[in-house]
Amino acid sequence: MNREQSLDSIPIDLIIEIHSRLPAKSVARFRSVSKLWCSMLRNPYFTELFLTRSWTRPRLLLALKRNSEWTFFSTPQPQNPYEKSSFVIADFHMKYLPKDPDSCFYNSLMTLTSGLIYFSSLPINKYDYTEPVICNPRTGQYAILPPKLSRREPYSFFGFDPISKKFKVLSVATSYYNRYYDRVNILTLETGKMRWRKIECSLAHIPPIDTSKWICINGVLYYVAVALRPTGNYDESYVIVCFDVGSEKFKFIDIECLDGKLINYKGKLGGISWGYKDNILELSMWILEDVEKKKLSKHVYTSWENGLVDPENHFIVGITSTGEIVLSLKVTSKPFCVFYFNPERNTLQSVKIQGLENDSQVYAFVDDVEDLNVNDVKELKSISVFKGGLNILWKRPSRSRDLSIAALSLKDKQPKTCFLKNKYESLALE
Amino acid sequence: MSSNMIMLKSSDGASFEIEEAAARKSKIIANMIEVECVDEDKAIPLQNVTGNILALVIEYCNKHIVDDDDDVATEEASEEEEEAKKKKVDDWEAEFMNSMSLETMFELLLAANYLNIKSLIDLVCQTIANNIKDKTPEEVRKIFSIENDFTPEEEEEIRKENAWAFG
Repeated sequence: MNREQSLDSIPIDLIIEIHSRLPAKSVARFRSVSKLWCSMLRNPYFTELFLTRSWTRPRLLLALKRNSEWTFFSTPQPQNPYEKSSFVIADFHMKYLPKDPDSCFYNSLMTLTSGLIYFSSLPINKYDYTEPVICNPRTGQYAILPPKLSRREPYSFFGFDPISKKFKVLSVATSYYNRYYDRVNILTLETGKMRWRKIECSLAHIPPIDTSKWICINGVLYYVAVALRPTGNYDESYVIVCFDVGSEKFKFIDIECLDGKLINYKGKLGGISWGYKDNILELSMWILEDVEKKKLSKHVYTSWENGLVDPENHFIVGITSTGEIVLSLKVTSKPFCVFYFNPERNTLQSVKIQGLENDSQVYAFVDDVEDLNVNDVKELKSISVFKGGLNILWKRPSRSRDLSIAALSLKDKQPKTCFLKNKYESLALE
Repeated sequence: MSSNMIMLKSSDGASFEIEEAAARKSKIIANMIEVECVDEDKAIPLQNVTGNILALVIEYCNKHIVDDDDDVATEEASEEEEEAKKKKVDDWEAEFMNSMSLETMFELLLAANYLNIKSLIDLVCQTIANNIKDKTPEEVRKIFSIENDFTPEEEEEIRKENAWAFG
């Protein structure tokens, strides 16, 4: 059988099988192979199969912030919890550079939901003016949202409804300063003109400033808030706010135990906190077993190697779908390690990640899944439009900090080569 | 477990003896055995598989027969041992695929598909995917002998839409 014959006879279902195992980036590139491949790789059957396969290889998404720049990487999450240590080279996705490199004095909340990232405020067009932005950390596609209604920075959260497949941003403008003032608005990511809509909320509440007190699980946005109940002199108590992204309805759960970073524990809401108790590092986790009955389960773990991780230098990233609690350094350094602690099996695994930039602040998200539908979201501007848009690099930039990179945009057909072509190899050798 | 031997015959006339348990990795052969259309003295003719490819298929099946036996026998094996064993199989598979040319991989894939050996299809598809993931569309066209039927304008448009993937 010669090659031509053998390849002609490869059935299309096998071609689809092969492509469902590729990274999303290769799929996007191979759409330009032929008309048949283009339609095959856009077909909903294929994109669903691709998503199913993606779920079996979840990734850890790393967003690194240094001065005003954001760089996005991802690495596979380890499959075998009994492997004590391993190392990976991070896959570089893209780098965002503000037009004005001095515009580093902005403070943005940054959250990831179902493959898209929401920045509450990012300097896009002017260095002294920030706007809310939704962007895809893989493709660089983005949408600038209309300015929020309150001049005082309202708190906003990003949610995804898996049924309608809609992304929405919830903005709550209550704060300690204007506590009697309560305004809740929502915005749906859509094509055309987007606008904020006012929605009803029965309980005035002050949302958290900290993004670790926020999570979106299966179409429900959860966050820990301070409830302001008008019982004479405004009682303050903590509540968990459950906001259904699809129906846009609020529910409030009065519950005492609200410590720590909110997590998605196999579809249930939970929280993890840690600290020293009698010189022993203790990690405790609560899981909301039943929302209606307000039933919680609590777990405390102490039996893990001391000294390897500590709350001063590390933070809790979350928990993976397979039950590994992930801990990361707060700032990148060499070596940079991420730890996977499995409380059920009592295993602690360290994964050394290479290829990252040093001295960057680390934001990380577990169980990031490549979804072709998210990469093809029509509501986001394709970067090729590039008129007054974001400065984005898709190639791993050289390590030497060259601010001239910031001036480069993709419009430049022949960028002055400050990219190291064989960066990948050179990092592997270090 | 029966250790019956059965004979397989490739399209180019080569005969191979294989344990029934290993041959059962192929759903097609397993079915033939179930409905008793396998004559003990006669080899099963496999018209779509050449000898060199069949040898690879048999090597794969022989390796995996042991693992399947173990699944039943060592139910109480610890999870840790299971993982270690899985790692060993993974290493063997990596080695098995390592020296193969893309051409051989495609032939092996067709054979695995014809014989209906799910795990081998998965393995070969993943290996081919790893092989082509960094290739350009031009290189991929060559590998799959595909003609570019886009007009230059159409191709430009598609590339623009997926510009991020060409970075």
